[in-house]
Amino acid sequence: MDFVKFFARRLGRLLLTVFIISTLVFFVVRVIPGDPALIIAGMDASPEDVQAIRVKLGTDKPLLSQYLVWLSSIARFDFGTTLISGEPVIKLIMERFPLTLTLALLGISIGIFVAVPLGVMSAVKRWSLWDYFGLVFSQLGMAIPSFWLGMLLLILFAVKIRILPLFGADTPAHFILPAVSLGFARAAIILRMARASMIEELSKEYIITARAKGLTERMVKYKHALKNGLLPVITVTGIQFGYMLGGAIIVEQVFSMPGLGRLFLFGIYQRDFTLIQGGVIFVAIIFSLVNFLADILYSIVNPKIRVE
Amino acid sequence: MKRRIILSLLVMILALMPISTVFAQSGGLLNFALSGNPDTLDPHKTAGTLTFQVIKSFYDTLIEPDITGKLVPALAESWSTSADNLVWTFKLRKDVVFHNGQSFTSKDVKATFNRILSDATASPKKGDFASIKQIDTPDAYTVVFTLNAPFVPILANFASGWGAILPSSLIESGHNFGAQPVGTGPFKFTRWLRDNKISMVKNDRYWIKGLPKIDGVQINIVPERTIQVQGLLSGAIDVVDIVDPEDLPVLGANKKVKVTKNLTSQVLVMAMNCSKPPLDDLRVRQAINYAIDKQTVLDIAYGGGMPGSTFMDTGNAYYTDYTSLYPYNLEKAKQLVKETGVGAKELTIHVPQNYPLHVKAAELYQQMLEKAGMKVKLQLVDWSSWMSGVYTERNYQLTVIGHTGKLDPDGTLAGYGTAKRYVLWNNQTAANNISKAALTADLELRKRLYTEALELMAKEVPFMYLGTSYRYVGMRADVMDFRMTPSLDTFDFRWTELK
Repeated sequence: MDFVKFFARRLGRLLLTVFIISTLVFFVVRVIPGDPALIIAGMDASPEDVQAIRVKLGTDKPLLSQYLVWLSSIARFDFGTTLISGEPVIKLIMERFPLTLTLALLGISIGIFVAVPLGVMSAVKRWSLWDYFGLVFSQLGMAIPSFWLGMLLLILFAVKIRILPLFGADTPAHFILPAVSLGFARAAIILRMARASMIEELSKEYIITARAKGLTERMVKYKHALKNGLLPVITVTGIQFGYMLGGAIIVEQVFSMPGLGRLFLFGIYQRDFTLIQGGVIFVAIIFSLVNFLADILYSIVNPKIRVE
Repeated sequence: MKRRIILSLLVMILALMPISTVFAQSGGLLNFALSGNPDTLDPHKTAGTLTFQVIKSFYDTLIEPDITGKLVPALAESWSTSADNLVWTFKLRKDVVFHNGQSFTSKDVKATFNRILSDATASPKKGDFASIKQIDTPDAYTVVFTLNAPFVPILANFASGWGAILPSSLIESGHNFGAQPVGTGPFKFTRWLRDNKISMVKNDRYWIKGLPKIDGVQINIVPERTIQVQGLLSGAIDVVDIVDPEDLPVLGANKKVKVTKNLTSQVLVMAMNCSKPPLDDLRVRQAINYAIDKQTVLDIAYGGGMPGSTFMDTGNAYYTDYTSLYPYNLEKAKQLVKETGVGAKELTIHVPQNYPLHVKAAELYQQMLEKAGMKVKLQLVDWSSWMSGVYTERNYQLTVIGHTGKLDPDGTLAGYGTAKRYVLWNNQTAANNISKAALTADLELRKRLYTEALELMAKEVPFMYLGTSYRYVGMRADVMDFRMTPSLDTFDFRWTELK
């Protein structure tokens, strides 16, 4: 029952967020300079032809009536068609989403599988060789921009030692380098979080109690401390995952991959209002869902902490 | 247990390894690198260069420019004009078949131009064909266009990408040509993975026998310049249509890669808003022209080229050289700046930030103008803002841009001398000449009228005419006869071979 209430409240908040964000975006994209009809028309079209394009796109109508039309279609979950290519927005998003999601999932997996064990090890064996390695790793991860790392990896593995492809997204092999360059920076942040949080847990009094009870060191560290130490890591990972969807734009550009990032980027360049609006709503929903999942995961890991 | 994990990991890694054949060239597939995704593959719904570059392989036009830029028969075997230039008759080829199997007839031509002219299409190129009053099809292989008023440049428009002929049956059924192009062209469309690649296979029933020579083309959309270059070096890419001048040394050092150099048809300029002080003063515009060392800017920003002196690409048959009017002369520039007092107030150069070469040029202009005693500020804007703020609303003083080439001088010059064009340069004589030249098919008369107009543009300098730059095409050494259509800058794979 509690859960149903919790879920309903979250859903309500999600809808409100989406409504506010989409209304904001609707007006912002129309207030900033730029006109999609001019982009379609190019440099040689006559003013009459440009006006004909505006009429066709519906951008000649008053702002408020455009907004109402759009609001009513959104209420029916209709994202409309893009202004530039005339294709359904939802179709374009769905074509691209699997790729970006795969990239983000692979990236975050690399982040988790590399960073959590490394971070925990660093905390457990503080100031050991492990720890120094972890610190250097996380410093590098935060300092190296992912596009640069991507370029270097490509030149090494696709040009010098030709074992991986240079561009495209056709085979699983195409995903290795983008996932690594995306995951590297994330791993750095998660590692620091895991290390700090484990160090904190290990210094708490219940650890002393656990040791006094005669538990093995393994039990103390990896059962008691780890469980609590992972909580903040989950939160950070959830947020990182959201950012990953954004970070994918740069990686998609470097690796020539057709993901959501490039779709939205060109939507913005070309002032494709419907595409930008659809994109923002979609990302907002995904962001909220990820946070929601992180909250649930949180309460599973530690049932004592019931959300809200 | 541990061994099983290691084993399954190994299997996974092996499965992920690409098979070497993925990269090897199979019999005659050309891998092309394009820097951006076209908006659509519908020839009538865009003005985007990327679209026309790609669809040249899918569609044909009634006539087309040959490698020298001369208009030659394509889907039309021959054409003729009435003495008053009002009636244009095209005799069509009888052996042409669309990719969907339908035979090509006059019905398709009529349906195509009706589509371009219809309000529902809202074609950005409608204006190019707006003079068409009536289209008649006396028989299956004759089309007669009757115009409202004589408009000779329409011939060049028939030869441009936006005059591509579509099958009438699919036009009627509302086919989505933007996603699924169907034409008579040398290659048949197979697949377009947006922002990834466009694939096409040879059209075995193409109307020029023996062409195309290769089995297919894969256009890979590779936005990063570095990756394009690396692809060329490693062999993953056969042709890169524009190589940045900075990458020339790397490519030149590799024996398996060759680079060709050709003059583009771009008119590179710094446009000036002649309607507002201080640029309404001819002496200020002259000062700016004297202050710019054109060859240096071309070499540093654009990788070399031919300096210009009027509003026409320097390789064009209609171009006359007026470089002696305003040669690089810093002293004269300084003197004019002092005389007009233009150095007191800051001038702004607007540059579209998505064109790095223009940005580089603008930085050089800034330095050179400051040397002559002016104060100059750069303002970077995104393309959309440039199109609306600068080009359409004319809120600018100076702006750096390139005008793409046209098959007919009217395409470049129409509207100049009047407020229709963004430089707001007012010159009735030039405007009259330009509109008169569109009425006549008399080549000598046209040449004289355009030359007079271009001379006025050269003297009154509504622009600083930088000139026309080179285009470097990079390709693997085994690629033969890759062509670019003159003036239109579209790719022509028909003669291309992989040796």
